[in-house]
Order: sequence, then structure tokens, then C-alpha cells
Amino acid sequence: MSRPIQSVEFTFNGEKFFAIPGQSIAAALFQANQHILRKTRMEGEERSIFCGIGICWDCVVTVNGIINQRSCLIEVQDGMVVKS
Amino acid sequence: MIAIIGAGPAGLAAAATAAQRGESVILIDSASQLGGQYWRHLPSNWSDDRSLHYNFDKAQKYFDLILNYPNITRYSNAHVWQAEKIDDKFHLYLIKDGIEEKIVAEKVILATGAYDRSLPFPGWTYPGVMTPGAAQGMLKSHGVLVGKKIVIAGTGPFLLPVAAGLAECGAEIVGLFEANSPLRWTLNLHGLLLNPGKILEAIYYFKKLRKFGIRIQYGKVVEEATRTSVIVDGKVISCDVVAVGWGFVPDLSLAGILGAKLKVDRDGTVLVRVDSNQETSIPGLFAAGESTGIGGSTLALIEGEIAAGAKKTFARWRAQVFAQGLQRVYPVSAKWQNNIQGQTIICRCEEVTQEEIRASIDELGAENGRTAKLFTRAGMGLCQGRVCSRNVSEIVASHTRRKVADSELIAGAGRPMAGPISLGELGDGLGKKF
Repeated sequence: MSRPIQSVEFTFNGEKFFAIPGQSIAAALFQANQHILRKTRMEGEERSIFCGIGICWDCVVTVNGIINQRSCLIEVQDGMVVKS
Repeated sequence: MIAIIGAGPAGLAAAATAAQRGESVILIDSASQLGGQYWRHLPSNWSDDRSLHYNFDKAQKYFDLILNYPNITRYSNAHVWQAEKIDDKFHLYLIKDGIEEKIVAEKVILATGAYDRSLPFPGWTYPGVMTPGAAQGMLKSHGVLVGKKIVIAGTGPFLLPVAAGLAECGAEIVGLFEANSPLRWTLNLHGLLLNPGKILEAIYYFKKLRKFGIRIQYGKVVEEATRTSVIVDGKVISCDVVAVGWGFVPDLSLAGILGAKLKVDRDGTVLVRVDSNQETSIPGLFAAGESTGIGGSTLALIEGEIAAGAKKTFARWRAQVFAQGLQRVYPVSAKWQNNIQGQTIICRCEEVTQEEIRASIDELGAENGRTAKLFTRAGMGLCQGRVCSRNVSEIVASHTRRKVADSELIAGAGRPMAGPISLGELGDGLGKKF
């Protein structure tokens, strides 16, 4: 398995991250050891990916201002603004 | 026109068979690539050595067939969120690129697959606790290793390829725990004899595990997780990821929406009822793969072909015998509830604990999963009970000393919509677009 060199850039909570084209937001963040994707709205518990295939909605983030997007499904696009 | 929903093994086999028979096919899938969960693979910009797959040649054969048939139209990244049958035609409503579209088809084949079954335990909401499917999917379709020191646990043959794949890519598997005894395989010897290919597949994975020095420890479960470790059999094992899975749950949303009759399998899994042609109780609506009985890719491929008109009764019977035997080898013990504590979260979305569910029974008079849900919101969050609904029902049943009724399990599998949709997406093209 060899990685393509080409990469796209996005931000997560203001910090800059890189992704290989085709990678999901969650995958790109995991690659950079950023495992915590959000905090829950009631208890403020940290959450990450859980099912990884769009079933559990634990990994939801805000993408370009649109809330409740599953980071395990959405492919990173250059310049995306992602927030917890 | 045949619409096939899902491009995993069952959907691919159905599409290829229908196209070869001269039918015009629409193949709809929510992912960008063909293959479903089973044949997840890296995008074409990677040079993939396919080492993470068993028998990927078969997948490639289907991909080539489907991409080359002019009578197959592909709808990728498309989510069917609603469906209805009007007169003799099926109307499917899907969201693609933030815009809603309608497809009308005379025949529909549901090949919507399954997802990992999860059971709660203390600490299962910490980052780093995930399903085996998540750990494997991150590797197979994104080339990302989820952790360095990984524990794999739960039950079922799926744990073996997950452990082998992660080890192959450099993870240290610090524990592989199978809850059931290998002696239970004596309950499926007839299944093995009828399906010798499965013995070869098992040998392939055992060899890989041996190569990486991974030993399967039987009869053990993860009792608790902390941020940096798990507790198994009272012993602390340090790790950064733990992947736990208890078999699979089929996705029945669309079958339920279209009114197809559902049934409960011996192990409590809710399935779509189909006849010998894979046709559901709704004429023209067919189902193939995991939604008609958890059976893996071999059975899914055969069922997909039959749903598209092929005759393969013997092959299906043989694979079904094996699949039914697997249920006897890898049961989920009712003892799973022994590990949960009052503060353990049961519904991850709405953050509902075991003691809140019990209080809804003791103080508010909840008597089944449905009433407990109304009082506590367990199962009302974004996932719509896909993760917790059966677990909530089982917790209520054990607290009230009953068994979960089949009707309750069936009700728990139904959803008014197959996926959440924003008002903007329903409005003309006002939905999300990245």
C-alpha cells in the first residue's frame, strides 16, 4: 500500500490539516492523531468515530457552516472548514 | 427498469445478472465507490496491493462488469430516504449532491447490507472505542491505521480478518478476545462439510494471525474501557483502540417503509421475509444479502443473482446451512448486561444511562422498549435507535423479568424515513453542497 503524494488542505477548529484526495474528514483527522471530533451537548463528553460507516452519527461535525454532518462519510475537499 | 439499492456483494451480483439478462438497471449506493462494506477499497489514486482482501479478484470482476455494461446506470453518493409503491410502480426518493430526485421502477431489489451490532459496557463512549467495522473500514478505504496498540473483542468470524488486516499494516494486536468457545464449532460441522471453501478461508486467516504472533483467547469479553486501557477478565490491558463487535444488524429501513413483512430470526435478529425467488411480501420488491439473514458475502452473491432471476437454489441452501450454523457457534449471551453499571450510557445519542431506563420502569411505569424510549428519549437521537433500540428493549425486559416480544423487535427495526433529510434538501436544490 503506497500513499499518493497529492494532498488537499482543510481546517478543523481553526487548525490546518491535510488529507489525501478521497479520504473522509474523520480519516484525515485520525491520520493526524486528532481523535476527538466533538463534545456531546448534554454531558460535554468527548466523542470520536464509532461505527465508521454512517450509522451511529457519533462523529458529526459542522462542515462549511452546515451542522450534523457525518465526518466518516464526507470526503475532504480543498479549503473545507470543519468545526466540532 | 430495475432499481437495485446497495452496491455491496448482493447488489453487484443482482446488477450484473439483471444486465446480462438484458434488463435496464439503476444501481444506487450511498458511497462513492462500488463494493459496499465488504469490498471497501482504496481510491484509484492509491497503488493498492490488495493485501487487505480475501478474494478481491471476484470483486474486481464485478466492478469491471458493472462499469462496462451500457444498460447499468450508476447513482453513487445517493441516499434513498423515502419510497412508496403507487399502482404497480415503485417511487424512490433519493438525495444526491444535496438535491432530491425521484426514480420510478417496476422492480426493486433491496441489497442494503448490515452494520456491526454493539453492546454497551462501561467506557464504551470514550474516543478509541469503536466497532471492528470502523477500524477495518478506515484502513481499507482510507489507508488510516486507527491505533498502534489495538484490542479486538466480541464474537464472530469477522474478528479474524479485522485483526489480521490491522496487524498486517503495522498495528500491535495486544488482545484478540472471542467470547465463545471454539468447541461450539461442533454445532456447525455439517455447515463446514457442505462449504469446504470456508475451511480454507479460516486456515488463511489463522496462518496470518500466527505470522503476527496473535493468539485468540476464548471465553473472554471486554468488561470495561478507560481512556488508555481495557479490563478483560479482571486484568488491565493497555491499548489506544478497542474494537468490539457482536455480529451484525441488517438495515431494514426501506423494506419497512415499503410495508414488506418482517420476521425475527432465532437469535433475535429482525429480517425481511422473502420467498424462494427472494421476493418480499410486496410484489415486485425483492431483497438479497444480509437483510434476509446474516450470511456473509458468499450467500449475498447467490441471493443477489436469484433476486435478479437466476436459478441457484442448491447453492443458496448450502450457504444458508453454514450461515444458520454460525448463529449456533457465535451466540450473544444474555449475560452481556452483567457488565453494565447504573451510570453506563445505553443510548449514545441522547446520553441515556441504564439507571435512567430502569427509573422509567420503576417510577414511571414503562413496560417495554417503546415506552422507555418515550420517557427517556433513548433511541430518539440522530441514529434513530439503530445502535441502542434492541439493547434498550433487552434491558427493560430483564428488569421486568420478561422476554422481548417479537413485535417489539420488529417495531424497533422500522423507521419512518430511511435517513435524516433537511428541509433545505426537500426544497428545490437548497440542500447541502460541498
